[in-house]
Amino acid sequence: MKSPRTMPHPPGRRRRRATAMVVAAATLVALSGCATSAGTDVVTLNFFQFKPEAVGNFTAIIKDFEAENPGIKVIQNSVPDPDTAIRTLLVKDKVPDVLTLNVNGNYGELARACIFADLSADPVAETVNPAVQDIVQSLGTCSADGADEVNALPFASNASGILYNPDIFAANGVEVPTTWDELIAAADTFQANGVSPFYCTLKDSWTASPAFVNLGGTLMPDGFFDTLRDEDPADATVSFQKDFADAADKEVSLFSYCQDNFASRDYNAGNKAFADGESAMYLQGSYAIPAIRANNTDAAIGSFPYPVTDDADSRVVVSGVDVGIMVGRNTPHAAEAQKFVDYLMSPEVVTAYSEAQSTFSPLKDAAPNNDPALAGLEPYFSAGKIIGFIDHQIPAAVPLVNLLQTLVITGDTETFLADLDSEWDKVAARTTTQRQGK
Amino acid sequence: MSSPRIRSSIARTPRTFYWMVVPAVVIFFALHTIPVLSGMFFSLTNYAGYGTWDLVGFSNYINLFQDDRVLNSYGFTFGFSIVSTLLVNVIALAIALGLNSKIKFQAAFRGVFFIPYVLAILIIGYVFNYLFANSFPAIFTALGLPGLSGNLLASPDFAWVGIVITTVWQAAAFNVILYLAGLQTISADLYEAAAIDGASGWRRFRSITFPLIGAYFTINMVLSFKSFLQVFDQIVALTAGGPGTSTESIALVIFRGGFQGGEYGYQMANAVVYLFVIIIVSFLQLRILQRREASFS
Repeated sequence: MKSPRTMPHPPGRRRRRATAMVVAAATLVALSGCATSAGTDVVTLNFFQFKPEAVGNFTAIIKDFEAENPGIKVIQNSVPDPDTAIRTLLVKDKVPDVLTLNVNGNYGELARACIFADLSADPVAETVNPAVQDIVQSLGTCSADGADEVNALPFASNASGILYNPDIFAANGVEVPTTWDELIAAADTFQANGVSPFYCTLKDSWTASPAFVNLGGTLMPDGFFDTLRDEDPADATVSFQKDFADAADKEVSLFSYCQDNFASRDYNAGNKAFADGESAMYLQGSYAIPAIRANNTDAAIGSFPYPVTDDADSRVVVSGVDVGIMVGRNTPHAAEAQKFVDYLMSPEVVTAYSEAQSTFSPLKDAAPNNDPALAGLEPYFSAGKIIGFIDHQIPAAVPLVNLLQTLVITGDTETFLADLDSEWDKVAARTTTQRQGK
Repeated sequence: MSSPRIRSSIARTPRTFYWMVVPAVVIFFALHTIPVLSGMFFSLTNYAGYGTWDLVGFSNYINLFQDDRVLNSYGFTFGFSIVSTLLVNVIALAIALGLNSKIKFQAAFRGVFFIPYVLAILIIGYVFNYLFANSFPAIFTALGLPGLSGNLLASPDFAWVGIVITTVWQAAAFNVILYLAGLQTISADLYEAAAIDGASGWRRFRSITFPLIGAYFTINMVLSFKSFLQVFDQIVALTAGGPGTSTESIALVIFRGGFQGGEYGYQMANAVVYLFVIIIVSFLQLRILQRREASFS
């Protein structure tokens, strides 16, 4: 459409028509939101980056990448509540070119819905530690064009254990507990000495789940979720009520050692309090370490795996892929996206990120992370004594974290388990074709 | 268009009005009507919000009525709306009567009472969240009332009270304005006549003021009830539906299930039901309250 300025001065009737067209065009532009780009040969990649605390790291990575590849510009978008944001983008059919997401149950649902490209042909897929890639694959893949798709590459792995303050342990003469009874004894000792054993942050409901996934993941029978998914709810041999009572009881007893105002404190307050030495232990995984150090660079932090049972040798570490990298399935810039992914997955970048963010490198033959805060968990990760997050096996439509929040506030395990079973069954009854990875 | 006769007939309605109305209709249709219709369509599918979907007929609607989480959210939302509507209207009417009388600093008071309505409810929610978590417990502890020193929002049984307090504090301002407008319409002669007849203040309110602002009372009740049924922002800021699921409003369940839980189609069915519930409730309210107005005239 010609712009009005270049038109010869129109007589009345033509001017009316021109006005009409301008108004219509203006209306349409207002509705479409002007998606035009400068017609240069620079390709712009839309990069959805889910971790607000890592924006600075990725900005530096992008700067180096753009310096090496002058024809590619990467725009990093980071939002609060990324799991909701990505779904709202998908509803509008706007899949970013390259994404990072926390590889959790949400990711699994999206992968099964064939949102992401298959990266199995990419040579960098060979450099990944197979044990870590298995955790990614177990959450679900797109099986539209045959099986064995790789929809995400792990960029950083986390580990969920108990963080503790070595100074406070030493001052109270407490050793790192290796069994459940020792853990409870340690908590009792701290309480008797007027030290808060745990700093709990139940204003953010999700903060009840790290402990629960460790307790449940260790105590549940093998293959619990596969059986639960395959069985008819009417005559089930497994259920949360049957198999999770012990885990729920232990969750309640752990949280009975929280400070008084635990229900009104949030995650940020918890990171600050633990950094300032207000509690001996903190029920959060490796991912909280950078946030704790942001409050106090010299915070004394150590870590140990959850002693769930009375068998010290059976301890495992719950590990998930904290940051996975995906490419939009229908991106118009596949070649450039792959270049960016290859750059992100290069050993220097992965190692630098894992040191900066206190994560574990998911690459084969990676040097162990020497962060003293991770020293208690590192051996388990290197030896492959890891299990996945069980909450990633529970559909997002089940309000698990809200039920957990109620559980630790009220201590009512029976209601919690019954609610969890009924929510699971309701969602299963509504289960839809898209969950099968059609 | 080219023949002069046709043009003269069009010329009788000023074209300017078409330029005002047509773009507005187009934008409204594109941004409001089409999404509503597509939402209604998706309520008949098992669409997750992404990927593939199948038509599933009315099974979403059937499942909806068996879902206790949804039913609980309706219960919470209606309870919250009734309590908030009554409180807001009683408080707003009282404030409006005060501001309408001959008091000093009347203009300043009106300004002060209007401030809460100017602030975004989300911001107010975060401020009250802080107050409930820190300030109120500290105040009650200092007053020697340790029983009230807990955080209201952390209690599954009483968190709704905190939401009501925040909501009423914010919403009363708007209804004060409407009531003030209504009170301005009452002629002073009536009060003079009543004073000569020896009517007390309460009697004047019951027999003159309240009947004459009946229409304003109706519209206030309907508007505030409708907006409280749609409660969302302050809950996100105060409790995020917690503790547990004790303060989940209908809008929050729709948002969570639809955008976070991967049940877009199912929650669209919930949204359609919710739309009709609000329409029916508002219609019934209007009918009942207007009949009451008429009986006074």
